[in-house]
Amino acid sequence: MATQWNDSQPIYWQLKERTVAMILDGTLKEGDALPSVRTVAAELQLNPITVSKSYQALVDEGLVEKRRGLGMFVCEGARKQLIASERNKFLKEEWPATLNRIEQLGLNAESLLAELANQDSSDAKSK
Amino acid sequence: MNESAQTSNSIISARGLTKRYGRTLAVDNIDFEIPPGRIVGLIGPNGAGKTTALKAILGLATFEGELKVLGLDPARQRARLMEDVCFIADVAVLPRWIRVWQLIDLTEQIHPRFSREKCLKYLAKTKIEQHKKVKHLSKGMVAQLHLALVMSIDARLLVLDEPTLGLDILFRKAFYTNLLNDYFDEERTVLITTHNVEEIEHILTDLMFIQNGKIALDCSMEEVQSRYAEVMVAHEKADEARALKPMHERQVFGRHIFLFKDTDRATLARMGELHTPSVADLFVATMEGGEA
Repeated sequence: MATQWNDSQPIYWQLKERTVAMILDGTLKEGDALPSVRTVAAELQLNPITVSKSYQALVDEGLVEKRRGLGMFVCEGARKQLIASERNKFLKEEWPATLNRIEQLGLNAESLLAELANQDSSDAKSK
Repeated sequence: MNESAQTSNSIISARGLTKRYGRTLAVDNIDFEIPPGRIVGLIGPNGAGKTTALKAILGLATFEGELKVLGLDPARQRARLMEDVCFIADVAVLPRWIRVWQLIDLTEQIHPRFSREKCLKYLAKTKIEQHKKVKHLSKGMVAQLHLALVMSIDARLLVLDEPTLGLDILFRKAFYTNLLNDYFDEERTVLITTHNVEEIEHILTDLMFIQNGKIALDCSMEEVQSRYAEVMVAHEKADEARALKPMHERQVFGRHIFLFKDTDRATLARMGELHTPSVADLFVATMEGGEA
């Protein structure tokens, strides 16, 4: 795994975001166990406190649960909850920015849909 | 490391620690506390007093002031202390004539908490053969052997003085992976000195800079994140940034990079994107005279 971290966000946060992405894309399924803090620390060469903090943030958001003596597991419903919050984030943050750009470039719904149909048909041809 | 750690469960506690060589003060009246479960990087330029401080901690040098390691006085209770402490010195010190199996036998006889079983398990993961003499092992293998011996001792404090000096990048990575995987836990403490700060900065929980025998910086990595910020500022705005009294300023491609300590983040964010300084950048800034 690439272990590049950016220096504008805390590493525990970036590690949390990576785990979230893995739940979203299905690499980590509901009920799956997360690797132990020790394993992650050794693999990514991070101090175990950073890894624990990251796991705790996932617990706080209700995405992961600690089972005594067994470790950390992805909660049932975690993916659904994430999709809901990611949709919300998209609609509130990314979509207005995209919309802004669309208007800036003088595009509209019709021209965008026409472009989409155009691409579909050329995809179909190339197959 | 400061406020919370003024308790008796500190692994290392120093008050007014001083070491003189003739008229030279190698360690100059320093105070610090190291609680359990931390990985502390002791970082300083050559001759800053790192090794001297480590020697005092290990009971290998006399000193003035107060120093307690695991609640013991290292100068007077060294034998007792060594049951719970192990270390690797930068002058790799395994006798060249000894064979690997002899070294294991010897360590087993000397150290009450050495586990032969663990040691053999670590060695099984390497290419080290037990009938070989130390002088016939490569430099990396000697370090692996040393680490295998040391990690097989059930100690509470591990002191590493430049443990990866002269090793290639694969050995260095494997060394730290072993350390994190097999040795470290919340009861144990690792004190480590190195010049390769980039490769251990994410492993560390705490940072201590030492310069001219004094502590120039002592804080947790979390504090580094919350208290220090770097901002890259265009030339026209440089004076505005300087007015906020940065700790350090450097130039890259005609832009100015300022390092601030304890400055309001909202104010800084108006000048540019905030970054957490790397340990190397923080070190340079501190050594070049910025009050950390």
